[in-house]
This record gives sequence, C-alpha cells and structure tokens, in this order.
Amino acid sequence: MYAYNQFDQTLVDQRVDQYRDQTRRYLAGEIPEDEFRVLRLMNGLYIQRLAPMLRVAIPYGLMKSDQLRTLAQISRTYDKGYGHFTTRQNMQFNWPTLESVPDILADLAKVQMHAIQTSGACIRNTTTDPFAGVSADEIEDTRPWCEMIRQWSTLHPEFAYLPRKFKIAVSGSSSDRAASQVHDIGLHLYHNEQGEMGFEVLVGGGLGRTPVIGKTVRKFLEPQELLSYLDAVLRVYNLNGRRDNKYKARIKILVNAVGIDAFAEMVEAEWQFTKGKDLRLPTAEIERVKGFFKPPNYLSVENSQSSLKAEMAAHPQFAKWYKQNTRDHKQPGYRIVVVALKNQLQAPGDVSHQQMDGIAALADQFSFAELRSTHDQNLVLADVAQRDLLSLWLKLTDLGMARANIGTLTDMINCPGLDFCSLANAETLILSRQINETFDDMDYQYELGEIQLKISGCINACGHHHVGHIGILGVEKGGKQVYQFTLGGSASNDASLGKTLGRSIDQDQVVVVIGQILDVYVQQRKTDETFLQTVRRIGFAPFKERVYGTHQRSAA
Amino acid sequence: MALIKDQQLSLSHAATPHIRFADWLDDDLVISDAVLTNGADDLACLLANANKLSIIAIEFETFADGRGFSMARMLRRDGYQGEIRAVGDVAMDRIEFMTRVGFNAFELREDQDALQALAKLGEVSVHFQPSADGKGPAYMR
Ligand code: HEM
Ligand code: SF4
Repeated sequence: MYAYNQFDQTLVDQRVDQYRDQTRRYLAGEIPEDEFRVLRLMNGLYIQRLAPMLRVAIPYGLMKSDQLRTLAQISRTYDKGYGHFTTRQNMQFNWPTLESVPDILADLAKVQMHAIQTSGACIRNTTTDPFAGVSADEIEDTRPWCEMIRQWSTLHPEFAYLPRKFKIAVSGSSSDRAASQVHDIGLHLYHNEQGEMGFEVLVGGGLGRTPVIGKTVRKFLEPQELLSYLDAVLRVYNLNGRRDNKYKARIKILVNAVGIDAFAEMVEAEWQFTKGKDLRLPTAEIERVKGFFKPPNYLSVENSQSSLKAEMAAHPQFAKWYKQNTRDHKQPGYRIVVVALKNQLQAPGDVSHQQMDGIAALADQFSFAELRSTHDQNLVLADVAQRDLLSLWLKLTDLGMARANIGTLTDMINCPGLDFCSLANAETLILSRQINETFDDMDYQYELGEIQLKISGCINACGHHHVGHIGILGVEKGGKQVYQFTLGGSASNDASLGKTLGRSIDQDQVVVVIGQILDVYVQQRKTDETFLQTVRRIGFAPFKERVYGTHQRSAA
Repeated sequence: MALIKDQQLSLSHAATPHIRFADWLDDDLVISDAVLTNGADDLACLLANANKLSIIAIEFETFADGRGFSMARMLRRDGYQGEIRAVGDVAMDRIEFMTRVGFNAFELREDQDALQALAKLGEVSVHFQPSADGKGPAYMR
C-alpha cells in the first residue's frame, strides 16, 4: 500500500501542530464557537450527545496492521476501548475529550494516519471497492487513483469551504461494491471500445433527505486528466452550489436544478482552462503511485480442492463460513476473507481493542500485514492462502469474528442513532439487537439468501436506508419513536432508491414486520430469485397486504 | 483594522473600497479602479473588467462562504496582477489558504491579532496541489 514520504509526513505533522494551536486558542476563548466548529470538523471532531466524536480517516479503507494496532491503542488510552467502522470506511471514536484530540492526532501521525477532512464542508475521504486489486472480477485496480485523489484533495486551499460535504467513490470492477452511484462523484474505471482505460464520471448522487442516483456527466475521461476534471467539477460547484439552505446545498441539488446537460456544459467550459496543464497527471507519477500497489509476494500454491473438502467435512461450521465469508481471488491458491463485524453482542461496525489487536496479528500472520474496511461495516483480509483458511477461521472464532453471515439479513448496516448521535430521531442499535435475537437461526438466513438491511436513525441517512433491499428509517411522531420501512433499494450496479411501504411501525413491531416481509418473499419467490428480484417483480401490494392488512384487522 | 499585505503588516495602504462592483459597472460617472465584490456578483463580468481595476476586495460575509476562494483563483488565472484583498469575516485560520489561491491582502476581523496571523502563513509548508501561488503539485517537485 501507499507509504508516506518525507513530504506527506511533514504535511501531517504540521497539520497536527496547527490543530493543537487551534484547540489551545479555542480553549483560551480566542476562537468563536461557530468558527472553531468548522475548524474541528475539518479534523474529524464532532460534538455529540454524550461526548465529542472523532472520525479517523482510513484512505479508501486500506490499512496496515500497525495502523490498526495504533487505533486499538488510541481506543484504550483516550476512549472506552472500542471503535466503530463507518459506512465510509473510516473509524469513529465515541468518547475522546476535546482536549486530548491533538495528542490523538499526533499518535496517528506516527503511523501515517490523520483525521483530515473526515467531516465538514470539504472533500471527504475517497472510498472504493474493499476488494480492489484482488477480486476476480476486477477491470482495473482503483487504489492508485484513490491515492492520487487523496493527495490532490488533501488541504486543498480552494475547496475547504464548499457549500456542503463532498464525497467521491471509485469502482473498478464489473460489480459496484463502492456504492458509487450514491456519491457526489462516482468514478467507474473501465475499458472503452478502443480498449483504452478511462473513467465514466457520475455526478450528483447522494442520500440524506433528498436521495438521488448519480447521473453520467462524462462518458469517458482520459485518466491523465482525472484531477483537472475533478477540479473543474469542484469549482463549478463551489461557485454555484446553494449556500442559503444547508438542506439544498449538496451538488445533487445544483445538478437537478440546472439539469445534467447544462451542468456538463458548465464543467466542460471550466475544464478548458485546466485541461492539459499542471493538473494533468504525468505518466511517471501514475507509475510511481501504481508502484505502491503491486501484488504481494504470493506463494505459488495450487488450490487443493481435496484438502479443502476434507477440512470442510471435519468442520461443518468452517464450511459455512467459507461459503458465506470468503470470495474468489485473482491469484490461484488465495481467497478474499470478509471478517464480520456483525455478531450478536456488538453494534454493527463496532470493534473492541482486543479484537483490533487480534485481527492485526492475523493480518500479519495470514494476509501480508494489511487489511481493509468495507462500506458495509466489515473488515477484509484480502490475501489469504487457501491452505491457511482453517487456522484463520479457528482464530477468528476465538475473537468472536467468524460469524458466517456476510450478505445475509444480520449483516446489516446501522448508524449509531439516538444512543450517540445528537441528530437522531430514534434508536437504531436496539433494532439490531432485536433483529439478532429474533433471526438467530443461520440456516434460515442462508435460506433467504442475499438481503441488505440498512437502518438510519434519521433522515440524514448515514445508515443508507434508501439503498437497502429493506430500509428502516427512524422517525419521531408525537414523542414516540417509530420506524418507516422502504423496500427495493440497491447501491450496486442496479442502483435504485427504495420506496416507502406505508405508515410507520412501532419499535416493538419492527422485527414482526421484518418477519412478515420475509414470509411474503419466501412464499412468492421463484427458484433462485433473490429478495430484491422478487420485490421488483411482484411490487408492493402483497407486502402491504401482509403488513398492514393484519395490523388494521388487529387494531380494529 | 489591521491589514496584512504581501506577507507583512501594512502601515499605509489604500482604504478598502466601498464601491460595489455592480454599481461601478452600472454607473459611468464612477471613476475608481477599486471595487468591492462578493460571490453574488457576476463573476464572468468581473473577470472581463479586471484589467481596469487595481484593487479588488472580495468580501466574506461569513467565513464559511468559500466562493471568494474560487473567485481569487480565477482572477489570477486570467492574469490579473492587481491587489486582491480579503475583507469581512477574515481570520488567521484561513489566510494561508487564501494566499495560496491568490489573495495578497487581508483586512483582518476586529478580534484578530495581526502578528499572530502573520505567523500562520506557511504553517503547513508543503502542498499537494497547484494553485495560484505558482507552487506546483507535489509530483512536480
Ligand atoms: C454520530 C454522529 C454523526 C452525525 C452527527 C452525522 C451527521 C450526518 C449528516 C447531517 C448527514 C447528511 C448530510 C447531507 O445530507 O448533506 C450525514 C450523512 C452521512 N453519514 Fe453521518 N453522521 C454521524 C455518524 C455517521 C456514522 C457512524 C456513519 C457510518 C455508519 C455515517 C455515515 C454517513 C454517510 C455515508 C452519509 C452520506 C449520506 C449522503 O450521501 O447524504 N455517519 N451524516
Ligand atoms: S442517520 Fe441520523 S441518527 Fe443516524 S448517525 Fe446519521 S445523523 Fe445520526
């Protein structure tokens, strides 16, 4: 992976000093509250219900085992011994004190990490496919491009006070695992008809209170001009995005207001000034950055089907885990392993300091000392030799991280909700607990197949509920926490926004309703049809009838 | 109010213009080569008239209004060589970025200490991206 040089290190170190001075001046009363708010947000620090919350950047979800160990250490020293992986591949700490943040940032800087631009109205951490560089269906490795975007966007002097936050996601394989269509900019690496590699550029996607699927603003972008084109989009947005109403300030509102064609023209016009100039990426630079992402020294081992079969026969749980939590790898003899952060005891995405240390050690032992975070709040060991899988599984089991539920109902996304977040309307973590208790039969979950359940505690949609196959949104009605269901959303290639099923559901009825929805699916599905396909085929009526029909009768 | 200009505390300088760019444009009788503008003005028109101006003061009604950053950048890109002065809600925590995009003068907010502000210039001494300050992207070093 990318390693800092003297230049990167200087930048991060100086940034820590700068923030230390800002904190000092704030505590001395020299920086007004609303101004410090913006400065701290640019360093990832929110003030939440119970305590400040610090979001640490994990650029495109990639980290070294040492970095994870530092996160564990930070959680012990400054927090309550755990952290939380977010849907944008970052890590959040829920309990640091404001005064300690400069020290945390200094600790992070020692292992080439920071919290720069993890929040605020600026260009945020660029996210990507957690299987980049290793998945069997990959067209092109996205990581070097993410790194080039990271560098260009870091402390960008012109785009630090945008109308609103700005998120970029990059996908480079035939299946989109980066939710790129619901980002401010989504980039798709592909080969055009001439066989040249380039980007399709989408703009104006996003969730929140106005969910929108991104639209293509440029069909093919020569990769050397990636930064000049992004620069043009950002400048058009910075100058023209609405600033009078923060709910209408995202780029999606601008794109919808002027129309995608007019927006594309504005970008083209601006791009004429920057194209082919100093932002054009020299081939040598592209090659230099690509050099950091060379494949590791894989052993030339064969996939031995016979020994795998024997291991599976001896350990049926291992067989289930293999099927559910590992994926095909480019390299023969290797598998991609998804480490579930979705067990029955912890909130989705939460990870204790012991687990962080444990998994760091497993990365050292089995996966070239690197690991990744995913947008659905799990971890990935990307390069595990097939012959090591059983030993890895045994150790993951000890850590409580071998639950074989990836892609199933209980592999849900869940925002922190009312337990931590000051914007929340409703609790969400209680739902994941109830769901885990109710649907604890894994065989039933396997039977259901792929289901993406996504839960947000308010309309800001941090839990991506709009793009869940089943989405749940917490709302407050007359002082009561109730939940609105949406069905039929997707964040993949076939991205779509879920539609509301009907009136909101009481907290104690949520699992009942989920059960009813699943019943309808099981009754109606055709062979091999996934939940999403069934919803799309049969429409809402059968689900409505089942959920509200009975409710109305019982209420009457 | 303290003014920092060309990386120094300025003791004598032209007052901040109070003629708004829109009025300057409308009124043929105004003879001035200094205007006050902000993100609400017609930027294409400002760029077209910049060669007639020696001071362009860009106003930040609130520090969070980042349009002024792109305005300065585009003025410099078009070859404007006069003074670009940041006025309004201007504080030490932004003058480094402002310098990078092409501002060369800062009328600091009342509560700001000018000497402390000067020390903020160059606080982060390395840059990843080209800007109006002529410093190339990291990979061009
Ligand atoms: C607890 C503190 C948090 C606060 C105050 C917060 C606040 C917000 C707000 C206000 C938005 C909407 C922005 C907009 O529509 O322009 C948003 C969006 C988002 N948040 Fe959070 N958030 C928090 C935690 C999280 C966590 C823990 C995650 C990950 C699980 C997360 C992931 C996201 C994502 C992915 C979006 C993007 C949705 C979009 O594209 O609009 N946030 N957040
Ligand atoms: S969706 Fe709402 S409740 Fe959940 S974390 Fe985001 S802002 Fe908070």
